[in-house]
Amino acid sequence: MINLINVTKKFGEKKAVDSLSIEIKTGEVIGFLGVNGAGKTTTMRMITGVLKPSLGTVSIDGVDPIDHHIATAKKIGYLPENNPLYPDMKVSEYLHFIREVKKHGSYLEIAEKVGLSDMLDTKIETLSRGYRQRVGLAAALLGDPHILILDEPTSGLDPIEQDRIRALITELAKEKVIVFSTHILSEVEDIATRIIIINRGKKVFDGPKPKGKGAVEKLFKTKVLENEIKKDS
Amino acid sequence: MKALIKKELGHYLNNPFGYIVIILFAVFANFMFMKDVFVVGQVSMRQFFALLPWIAMIFVPAITMRALTEERRTNTMEILHTIPLTAAQIVMGKFIALVIVAMIALILTLGLPVSLNVLGAGSGSSLYLPEVLIAYVGVVLFFAMAISVSLFLSGGTNNQVVAFLLGALALFFLNVIGTDMINSLVPRAVEDVLTLLSPANQLDSFIKGVLDIRSIFYFISTTAIMLFLTIMDIEKRS
Repeated sequence: MINLINVTKKFGEKKAVDSLSIEIKTGEVIGFLGVNGAGKTTTMRMITGVLKPSLGTVSIDGVDPIDHHIATAKKIGYLPENNPLYPDMKVSEYLHFIREVKKHGSYLEIAEKVGLSDMLDTKIETLSRGYRQRVGLAAALLGDPHILILDEPTSGLDPIEQDRIRALITELAKEKVIVFSTHILSEVEDIATRIIIINRGKKVFDGPKPKGKGAVEKLFKTKVLENEIKKDS
Repeated sequence: MKALIKKELGHYLNNPFGYIVIILFAVFANFMFMKDVFVVGQVSMRQFFALLPWIAMIFVPAITMRALTEERRTNTMEILHTIPLTAAQIVMGKFIALVIVAMIALILTLGLPVSLNVLGAGSGSSLYLPEVLIAYVGVVLFFAMAISVSLFLSGGTNNQVVAFLLGALALFFLNVIGTDMINSLVPRAVEDVLTLLSPANQLDSFIKGVLDIRSIFYFISTTAIMLFLTIMDIEKRS
């Protein structure tokens, strides 16, 4: 489904992602963890075809997302970091635009699913952060993509909005492959089936979610610190 | 791509900035011509069409400056790169929307030929309408070329002001080459090349009511080259 083989991304001399190999299969919900600047967003951008790897290959169902951009764009719904939107558009106009490009599905159904039905006539610039996040999520869901790549989907939201978005992702996880990044480890405990931790661009853990309350946090801190010590020595 | 064109048109036409630029263009263009009409005393639009490339120098960068820079500044380019749109569709969608905006502005000058005909009726003069129509065709081709140049230059920056200035400078340069002043400063061989490359000179045949196939080829090929370079630039930046 999603395959990264020895993927490296350099910006100048700096390696943002270093020899990363990941295979993600149908039915998985990946919690993608790492400190700020670890390479999570860069990895997600390479999966979605926004960035081209400096080395290695990325494939979605066996094809390169850049060489076969249109085909893979139909399979992937992407919620980028910081959720860029068009502030001067109404919610309905924006979702209608995305729907017209993806040529599939009804934006009204998706709006209802994410709780935007009452906000369709509202300009995006006047929405609260929580509602803007819902707009971004709705746009990602349009076209019924099989894969969802969500970069910090609950970032900056209040606890109630976080719970709402988390509940929505949990429901979507029943039918889609989801890769989501987050700093909120309890989210990973609640939603993910598998955890990938990267640090300084390298994968330091890839395995099933550990059981027990606080287990994810313990694993994260251990693996990141281990990697830091290894780098320093 | 139709969806992208509609979205782009919405940004200009649902926004005070778009209306202000279009109306300012129309008011300025109409005024600059009408202020001398009674002095010149001729029922002719040639002066008006000759003036338009100079007005385009400000108008075109004003409408193109946000097209790519705003997408980069707000990171919405990332959205465009991850929905089923190619770089070519993104550029063509924005280009077509901008040409439509320019044509809306030009439509607001259609009162001029009507007014001139009314004014000239008293003295038995009238405009030769095919000449006016061909001139407008030439102006649309000129604006399309100017938009493609400005769009390409705006791709190199995230700052709308810089995009505007680059576009204005480039169009100023294009307007100036092939003028008598520049031609008098360069050798004959260079003068011939500059005359060929000058958009204002190519527009001249349209203004005189002549559909010169070489001028049509000039505008279409220059526009196509600039659009191609813009597409390559977007693909390279991703």
